[in-house]
Amino acid sequence: MNATDNAVMAQVGSGEVAKMAVLFERHHRALFRYFVSMNRNRELSEDLVQDVFFRMLRYRASYDPKQPFTAWMYQIARNANVDQAQKRKAEVVGIDEFDERRPEPASDAPGPEEIAAKGQDVALLKRALERLPSDKREILVLSRFNDLKYDEIAGILGCEVGTVKVRVFRAMRALEQIYFALAKEKSA
Amino acid sequence: MNCEQSKALLAEYWSRSLGENDEIAFEAHIAGCEACRKDAEQLGALWRDLALIPAEEPGPNVRARFYDSLAAFRQGMESAPKRSLRQRLMALWPAQPAWQMAISFALLVIGLGTGYQMRPGAAKPVPDAPENSELAQLRGEVSNMRQMVALSLLQQQSAGDRLRGVSYAYQVPSSDTQVLSALLATVNTDPNVNVRLAAVDALRAFGASPVMRTAVMQSLHKQDQPLVQIALIDLLVDLHETEARPELAKIAADPQINQAVRQHATVAMEKLK
Repeated sequence: MNATDNAVMAQVGSGEVAKMAVLFERHHRALFRYFVSMNRNRELSEDLVQDVFFRMLRYRASYDPKQPFTAWMYQIARNANVDQAQKRKAEVVGIDEFDERRPEPASDAPGPEEIAAKGQDVALLKRALERLPSDKREILVLSRFNDLKYDEIAGILGCEVGTVKVRVFRAMRALEQIYFALAKEKSA
Repeated sequence: MNCEQSKALLAEYWSRSLGENDEIAFEAHIAGCEACRKDAEQLGALWRDLALIPAEEPGPNVRARFYDSLAAFRQGMESAPKRSLRQRLMALWPAQPAWQMAISFALLVIGLGTGYQMRPGAAKPVPDAPENSELAQLRGEVSNMRQMVALSLLQQQSAGDRLRGVSYAYQVPSSDTQVLSALLATVNTDPNVNVRLAAVDALRAFGASPVMRTAVMQSLHKQDQPLVQIALIDLLVDLHETEARPELAKIAADPQINQAVRQHATVAMEKLK
């Protein structure tokens, strides 16, 4: 049976730094996907993956094995992302706010059901996701792409599990609105 | 179950991780509520389709770079000179004069206290007797020493020392205005973000001070780091500082400020209603 992430990180913390390779193999793809979803820059995301593992090596002694490893790693990843954004002094592109009400389709435009019936356009969905505000995009990336449990996400974001669930719903509602707006643009 | 409760369960419903009882209650609700049923079906379809977006894979050189870095890190650790027993013992003695002074002072106080207790004819302590003046004096001296160490460390060049200074600030009385001033100065001017964040956390101990609350509100606009601004907003929410609402409204409306901070300010305003 494979050792848990917590146990492996505890070994790294006690000086077996070569064990960091185990954690790299387990998590570097998910971290890359997280970063590339947040900043849409492959080269920068690869640098950030390296940065996260270097920070974990450097601060290995501060890891508490009672703390979930995943939450600790993603907290480091979020800090690395924020630090990088500060350096670049560039805002991640996003639509500021979307009205949470259900959009009213115009009479001559296809409605949600009609558009849904045509089949979901994955490329369009990807564009819609890219246009989500970064906090909403982040929670969907963590919950849907990186398969983190809601209690793990709550640990990463520093909020209650119930808040995470409601924020996932709000993010999905915003995604739906952007998706249908793009679909209408496309069909116009 | 009402609509608000069902919204909180949607995410688990889509990911099929609802418990049996919740699932039964949820299904019963959407059977009779068209709006929630639409959310469950339409947003659920979108949730499923998110899995169809191809995962971006890192380039092949990511792995090579990591193993190079790891090898260099291990080499650096191994090439670090091994220290003798004497050197290791010497390393326990701190290099900073503030720590040296603090330890010396603590040893002196302990020595004087022990000597006083062991003097000939010293009275046996009476159980449940009121605190005598010598003990109160001793406590006062220890408190002064903590204040001195905290203030001294907060002025050091090294960020690590300043972080230790912040941790010492937790041990001074919450009425200590000198340490409070030093913490506020650290929050506003320290070049290191981690030190500033630690100082924001330490300010919680001074929550009863109106001066601190006002200073925190003013500090919101001085900060150039979103993380610190968010930490300050969280502090104001934790302190239930309703007078912060106008300041938060300004931040929420200022397009020059980081988007995450603005959103955080908006959420905080709702919490402070």
